[in-house]
Amino acid sequence: MAIALPPRRPRLIRTASHAGVHMRFGSTLVFVLPALLLFAVLILYPMLAALSYSFFGWQGTNRDGFVGFGNYITLLTREPYASELWGGFSHNILLFIGAFIFQNSLGLGIATLLHKRKRSKRFFQTIFALPYLVSPMVIGYLWSLMLSPLFGPVNAILRGVGLEGLALPWLGDPTLAIWVVVFVTAWQWLGFPILLYGAAIAGIPEEISEAVSLDGASAFQRFRYVTLPLLTPSIGIITVLTFIGSMEAMAIPFALGGSSGSPAGATDVMMLLFYRTAFESGNPNSVGISSALATVLFIFILAISVGITRVIRRAERKLY
Amino acid sequence: MKKRTLMLAAGLSASALALAGCAPGDAGSDAGGDSTTLKVWSWQAASSPDWERIFDVYEDANPGITVEFEGFQATEYNQLLSTGLAGRDGPDVAMIRAYGGAQGPIQAGQLTPIDDVVDGLDLFEPTVLQAAQGREDGVTYGVPFAYQTMHMFYNKDIFDENDLEEPKTWDEFIQLQDDLLAAEITPMALGAREEWVLPMFHDLIGSARYGGSEFGAQVQAGTTDFTNPDYVASLELVQQMQQYFDPNVSAIAVADATLQFTAGQAAQWPGGSFDLKVFQDSAPDTEWGVYQVPPAPGSVLSEAVTPSYADGSFGINAASEKQEPATDLLNWMTTVEFGQLVGDELKQFSPLAGVSYSDPLMQEMNDLYLANPSPYLLLVDFRYGDPTGTAVLGPDIQAMFLGQKTPEQLAADLQAGISTWFTPGS
Repeated sequence: MAIALPPRRPRLIRTASHAGVHMRFGSTLVFVLPALLLFAVLILYPMLAALSYSFFGWQGTNRDGFVGFGNYITLLTREPYASELWGGFSHNILLFIGAFIFQNSLGLGIATLLHKRKRSKRFFQTIFALPYLVSPMVIGYLWSLMLSPLFGPVNAILRGVGLEGLALPWLGDPTLAIWVVVFVTAWQWLGFPILLYGAAIAGIPEEISEAVSLDGASAFQRFRYVTLPLLTPSIGIITVLTFIGSMEAMAIPFALGGSSGSPAGATDVMMLLFYRTAFESGNPNSVGISSALATVLFIFILAISVGITRVIRRAERKLY
Repeated sequence: MKKRTLMLAAGLSASALALAGCAPGDAGSDAGGDSTTLKVWSWQAASSPDWERIFDVYEDANPGITVEFEGFQATEYNQLLSTGLAGRDGPDVAMIRAYGGAQGPIQAGQLTPIDDVVDGLDLFEPTVLQAAQGREDGVTYGVPFAYQTMHMFYNKDIFDENDLEEPKTWDEFIQLQDDLLAAEITPMALGAREEWVLPMFHDLIGSARYGGSEFGAQVQAGTTDFTNPDYVASLELVQQMQQYFDPNVSAIAVADATLQFTAGQAAQWPGGSFDLKVFQDSAPDTEWGVYQVPPAPGSVLSEAVTPSYADGSFGINAASEKQEPATDLLNWMTTVEFGQLVGDELKQFSPLAGVSYSDPLMQEMNDLYLANPSPYLLLVDFRYGDPTGTAVLGPDIQAMFLGQKTPEQLAADLQAGISTWFTPGS
């Protein structure tokens, strides 16, 4: 006796607990495979290759014997790597702190001010975002021209308005040069937090602000107890991205201080050390050492980024 | 939100690692065809038309051979060459960096030894040929094509206007600088913000003071080292020269210093033969002169010397299937015909004797070199490990200009840096 089968149901199932769509593994794979392939070829393979390179000795581009953690020990204990690593690392941290303060104060401030301006908001957002759209190498080169003590307009203007004392050798004095790098980096990135904070502030419902205003909250209280808690996710994203960008900074320090972080290593950062080790070194084992450095850098960035994310999440919970 | 941020963090922070991993691969074999087209790679992209004219001469004399010259950006060349020599689509003949820069492909076995197949290698000065030899095995892997010399360039117009002459003694040299200062002219332009120019400047000023190649030989033998008082004294000369630069010399880039010199804002330029074309192109109406800095009091050498170094060489990709035509091409590169073409077309100095230069200034520079050559010591002998000599001394001279270090500290740093990989007598 033939049994009447119920009509086949679509494979898509919505569950009560998740808003997402569940599909069969094969169908999922078809959708995921192109991106997965690209990720595997362009990101995963080079990462794993670099990791494996770091455990071998090298003669030029020929792989030598397995050295275990030998390259890591060399990197962390042997000169010039050890001192340059810590010097570069400290400058990366300065870059992060500077950019973090700049973006979360000026960036947030400008975004808040622009939020009130309906007509000029888009114009100013575009103006502030323009440097972010230009290659950092170009930005660095332009600033190096502007800060030239011989022909640069910055010192010429300062002298022109009677501020000779402020016409300094910006990129020649080690105590100034690193702050120039910090400033230029933060300046270039400023447009990004303005856009992100602008979108986040625009997403805060007006009713909430109106309600606390009716309850007698001051402007500061409104910012502290309404805007800031609701911006915490954005602060988290910007902090993590700023951290990653600061740790991987290369183009602007290179354009302003060359591959050795002139003057006298004052603007050296870890990616410049990586560049020097990989491409300018006289060491036949440069592939091994530079791969070890890249691996250390990756693990450090990943660990701290995860840490920052957790701290921000915790702060978010407290604020809510 | 949390997951997305974490994924974003992981993805972006992976880029540094991914960048590293893109670099090398295991050495492979070439699968070139039977074509008589020779692929020649170079880092002199800007000179590609000149190189093509040179190889046109070879093609005319060797029917059936085509030289396909490819010029790449110098900053990208090392990486491209590593990949090219390790892969399938590499060059048949490649420009190889000099001295320490040649050791990577040599140690990787990517270059063909040429001692037994190329005639005329004995025509090159040993210091020049050393640029293309393996440090470990002493075997030659390339034919040097050019060398650079270091001189004190000067603006003849400024000298004439101020009744100044080329100095013959150290006292005259110092008097010249003081006279220029008195005339409110910056005596020398230097791009000290870029550390690579500083060890060159040191050799230009101090090579005779520390003893040039003689001192180099003693360091190699282990009978002295860089803390030698003569070497320290040569660094003191560099410190003494600081008063003759712009007060903000540490903040001045090479491009700015070049403009300072070519615009007539500074009278002299301590630099290399590679600078001449830039000056002539930038200020075609200005007349330039050169001289060598006379030896300072107490100098080990009694004559002014011309520091120099080989620029690079042409080597054969060991994986190329066109070994024979590539060897023929390298044999041609040891002839005076090729050397003369390098001089005429590229305006560079050929290391081959018998080449003459149509530009009188180039001829004078070459004569100065031939009269008293001296190796650019830190490049010729101390770029075979990490840190290289120039990588230590360049930033250290910047520190000295900034008042952070003394000449004694510079010498000690240099010795300590070199000692991490250099063993005398090795």
